[in-house]
Amino acid sequence: MALLEVENLQTHFRTPDGINRAVDGVNFHVNAGETVAIVGESGCGKSVTAMSILRLIPEPPGKIAGAIRFNGKNLLDASDKEMRAIRGNEISMIFQEPMTSLNPVLTVGRQIGETLRLHQGLSAQAAEDRAVEMLKLVGIPEPQRRVKEYPHQLSGGMRQRVMIAIALACNPKLLIADEPTTALDVTIQAQILELMRDLKHRVGAAIVLITHDLGVVAEVAERVIVMYAGRKVEEAAVGPLFRNPRHPYTQGLLGSMPKLGSSLTGEETRLAEIPGLVPSLKKKIPGCVFASRCPKVTDLCTQYAPALEEKAPGHVAACHYALREEVVAA
Amino acid sequence: MFAYIVRRILATIPVMAIVALFVFSLLYIAPGDPAAVIAGDQATPADVERIRASLGLDRPYLVRFGAWLWDILRGDLGTSIFTNLPVATMIQQRIEPTLSLMIVTLILAVSIAVPMGVVAAWRQGTWVDRAVMGFAVLGFSVPVFVVGYVLAYVFALELDWLPVQGYTPFSRGFGPWIENLILPAVALGSVYIALIARITRATMLEVLQQDYIRTAKAKGVGQRSILFMHALKNAAVPIVTVIGIGIALLIGGAVVTESVFAIPGLGRLTVDAILRRDYPVIQGVVLLFSFIYVLVNLAIDLAYTLFDPRIRY
Repeated sequence: MALLEVENLQTHFRTPDGINRAVDGVNFHVNAGETVAIVGESGCGKSVTAMSILRLIPEPPGKIAGAIRFNGKNLLDASDKEMRAIRGNEISMIFQEPMTSLNPVLTVGRQIGETLRLHQGLSAQAAEDRAVEMLKLVGIPEPQRRVKEYPHQLSGGMRQRVMIAIALACNPKLLIADEPTTALDVTIQAQILELMRDLKHRVGAAIVLITHDLGVVAEVAERVIVMYAGRKVEEAAVGPLFRNPRHPYTQGLLGSMPKLGSSLTGEETRLAEIPGLVPSLKKKIPGCVFASRCPKVTDLCTQYAPALEEKAPGHVAACHYALREEVVAA
Repeated sequence: MFAYIVRRILATIPVMAIVALFVFSLLYIAPGDPAAVIAGDQATPADVERIRASLGLDRPYLVRFGAWLWDILRGDLGTSIFTNLPVATMIQQRIEPTLSLMIVTLILAVSIAVPMGVVAAWRQGTWVDRAVMGFAVLGFSVPVFVVGYVLAYVFALELDWLPVQGYTPFSRGFGPWIENLILPAVALGSVYIALIARITRATMLEVLQQDYIRTAKAKGVGQRSILFMHALKNAAVPIVTVIGIGIALLIGGAVVTESVFAIPGLGRLTVDAILRRDYPVIQGVVLLFSFIYVLVNLAIDLAYTLFDPRIRY
């Protein structure tokens, strides 16, 4: 049994001008200890998917349907109290904005210690001692001094390290990282990724990594889920996905990545892009969600939505024209 | 920090000087003549003139102001025209009831208004929120003396739970003291509660949108702890500011409240002094009130550092 099974997840928001289907029927699973990346551009539903897992979507106006099974238990049926016992303990989360995600009026030590006191019943002193250890673990120098400091006294990279310390304090089984490196300098990004990879091996947590940075995906993920307009359009192990993307959207995403030296040797000096924008999620789209931007679009695409099909072992894509393995082989 | 406190206290001196000039000028311009009041209806103009000269009221404006200011700088608030008692003594006799009323009102108002505002923000848009906001509008718009008379009628005359009016000194025990203060404090506090509850709600609504509140939820923190630990401390600075500014409301309201509930405090002293044009008393009391106001707001500024570690002086 997988650690996390998401089945037909639908997260909809009631808005004054209609229902926004931010996530519309997404299925995926995460095995224990595995790193799964969810990629896609802004507004494709990645963050909402992540927030839905922990039920951090305000309801109303949000509404989560489907099933989110964690260790076999459907979190959508859990009471508020049961959810609180899971959050920060068995499933924890790192957010995109390290500058604003820490409480400015509480010390770093208090914020790390809070989860420990809450979930493990540690005393204030024991929690602080453990907070010092956690700070050391995430590579913050002088943890004894830092533990008594406030977030504004730390740099962005250090704050994200603190967020990681908070997330890992209770040895969670699943860590959801929502764009953990997006707001950081490139050099700090590399350090944080390195830290996450290192800690993952030590703690043994599974990671759901939400990102739009394919470089990050290639570096840390084992399996990749590509989302577009609230749906999963492709899923594969990281190697096959990068070598042989099946869905035109994934091909476009990979094509828009700069390659080292490409501007010097290739004829094309301009970075490829996917024209257009993610369609409004307030209208039901009858055909393929990507049809409006797809270079290979036909009448079939605008009329009938393609089903997710296994195009190769362990490699699914939702496209009428993505070739199956046999066909490629033939 | 210490240097800052010293600087702020020194800065109150020019403020107080301006207040003094203002109070003095206002009374100089205002119609009415204490000499005529003392002399009574039967006096001839010559009598009034003689009394005026003996009070020193015939001297030029600047000379009078200079003399008064010089006395204050030496720590002498002057002598009442009517009772011939030193103003400082009169204030001393009357200060306990007023300070008691203001402190009880302050504690009552803050302990009611802040939770009210927090709950309204948490339950935004529900009937709880609307009830709190409705109460706030009511608190703003109904004058203190109306609230006072209604409370006295219902709780003192009809239900006979609390005394109708009067004041018992604290030295006679906490029970009788507080009994006499509850109704005046509620009457005086209603505007104040409305003000603080509104600001608390507005600030909390903003704080509850912040990313760190989402972080706290993701950590599994309970609702109450999120509201009162994570959010309220972040909302404290505007709330505390309004509590400080609202002290002015309490000072103004105390004058009316003391009249309604027959409390022998500074408010009554002020009203009596104004009716009799007892200039030294009016000036002394107003100066004292503005000094209290300035000091309270200094204390508030210092309190910011307790709530927000980013503020340092």
